Amino acid sequence: MSQMIEVSHLSKTHRRGDGTPVAALKDISFEISAGEFVTVRGPSGSGKSSLLNIVGCLDQPSSGTYRLLGEDVSGYSDRQLSRIRGRRIGFVFQSFNLMPRTTALENVEVPMIYGAGRVDRKKAFAALERVGLAERAHHYATELSGGEQQRVAIARALINAPPLILADEPTGNLDTTAGAEVMRILQELNKEGRTIVLVTHDNAVARYASREIAMRDGVICSDGAPDLRQASGA
Amino acid sequence: MGILGGIKLATRSVSRRWLRAFFMMLGVTVGVSSLTILYSVGENTKQETMRRFKRMVGTFDTVIVRPGAGRTRGMPTLTNVEPTLKFEDAQAIASEIPEIKQVAQAQTAFDIDVKYLDRTASPAVFGVSANWLDLRGDEVAEGSFMTRDDLQTLARVAVIGVDVKSALFLDESPLGKTIRIGEVPFQIKGVLTSRGAGPAGGSLDNLILIPVTTASRRLFNRDFLTMLIAQLNDPGRSDAAVQKIAALLRERHHLTASALDDFTITSPQAALTRVTQVGSTLSKTLTGVAFIAMLIGGIVIMSLMLIAVSERRKEIGVRRSVGASRQDILLQFVLEAGAISTLGGLIGVAIGLGGTRVVTQLQKLPSAVAWEALVISVLLSFAVGLVFGLYPAWKAANVDPIAALRS
Repeated sequence: MSQMIEVSHLSKTHRRGDGTPVAALKDISFEISAGEFVTVRGPSGSGKSSLLNIVGCLDQPSSGTYRLLGEDVSGYSDRQLSRIRGRRIGFVFQSFNLMPRTTALENVEVPMIYGAGRVDRKKAFAALERVGLAERAHHYATELSGGEQQRVAIARALINAPPLILADEPTGNLDTTAGAEVMRILQELNKEGRTIVLVTHDNAVARYASREIAMRDGVICSDGAPDLRQASGA
Repeated sequence: MGILGGIKLATRSVSRRWLRAFFMMLGVTVGVSSLTILYSVGENTKQETMRRFKRMVGTFDTVIVRPGAGRTRGMPTLTNVEPTLKFEDAQAIASEIPEIKQVAQAQTAFDIDVKYLDRTASPAVFGVSANWLDLRGDEVAEGSFMTRDDLQTLARVAVIGVDVKSALFLDESPLGKTIRIGEVPFQIKGVLTSRGAGPAGGSLDNLILIPVTTASRRLFNRDFLTMLIAQLNDPGRSDAAVQKIAALLRERHHLTASALDDFTITSPQAALTRVTQVGSTLSKTLTGVAFIAMLIGGIVIMSLMLIAVSERRKEIGVRRSVGASRQDILLQFVLEAGAISTLGGLIGVAIGLGGTRVVTQLQKLPSAVAWEALVISVLLSFAVGLVFGLYPAWKAANVDPIAALRS
């Protein structure tokens, strides 16, 4: 299988307000193949969010290299990174991050403005249909339930057909039923061949994944098949 | 993202936040509407003043010589001028100064009753030379003007203004009728075309013209002029002509080197420039006030945009995550500010058009709209939006998407 993500000797150092450096990631190396469903787990402060930001091209590493689909993006400019985010990566967030005063359909259309440069309303509608929200297309984001909002967010992440979906605690703000529905959709996307990287605290989510990377204090402490015993015990 | 997409985004954002947009555009609207009104009214006032001034003066390729020092205002009459400017002076100017094409002579009096049957009027009575019509740019509407023959024979003929016609003759034709100026009978030869109102608003048609020779010897019994008008060969060289006329008159009047001039020379062109300058100073001041309003409008836009940016951090984060570069965000916010400001400007133009109409009607000015002011206003309001939107947009472009998405 070709490599989706290749991370080698990656470090990230943040600076606190008073200037003291804090190492968020310490010399991390791993690879994720195309088509994998990987969860990243770890307590807060373990560096999983910092990792996700770099993998999502929202942030750049302090040292080391990051290759996405074989392309070294470590030294890319803001413009180049934005282009990659728009075409290769779809984000799903814990807090949904839909834009207020904007309909579901318009939210889904946003990535097309920056990707294709041309808004295809039919395509956006099809994406909403895909997540089962065709009849809610013209509702404002604030009129939708949490589960519906997250499904709109997934439709938005899909609209430019990115090979990689990054999800940051996608079920964190949802009840069990809505969370299960979101996970079912993500699993379906994975079956279609999309690579999914999912950051979570939730043990119930882990069983959807084929691989789990556990982090602690800025390093990877385990990497392998998910610990289903722990998952069922939760 | 292209400019077109940016404009679409901007208009959508404005329509979804119309109340804020309303307050943002308020300053620009006030600025543009006052700019439009002030500029249009100022321009109208200036042009109306110029029109009236031109009506009074007639032609601009002339200089006017009056007896007495320092006289530039008011109409000189036989009773209020010094008897220094003679018929011979006029002839000398016409024959000895090459820059002068011809000279018209005038004797004026205001306080004479003019009678026809039982009706009386007291117009200005002008004794003038036969070339007067030509130099003043006047025309005869009915009948004909006095001729050189009339002047040589001291004919008692008169050409009247329309005010005199309507006062003395009502609907009757005045041609060939005999009127009495003082006690002297004159036959009416022609009626002048109406000149309308002068710069101060008074009528320019309440006058009677008679041959200056007749006036001098048969009516007033005075041998001096109240005014002469010298026409220039080259209107661009009026300064040289003025100097030569002054030198000639000083010599003829035997003035010593230290004595002041006993005459005054004015140039209508110079006077017009002065009148126009007063008008333009006024409209410049008013325009300056409107520019200050625009500046305040811009500052309002900037501060409200800054608030909007901090409120829309999440939106910025989302846009960045789905592929918007810093530049895209910058463009979006700049265009949004530009769109709001332009919309404010357009509303201001609409108010300004209405306001101009009201003001010009109140002041009885022609309600011409200064179209260049409209175009300038709209362009200016767009520019104000761009300039004052730039800093908030730069702030927006530099929002950290990671922090914005987590909040």
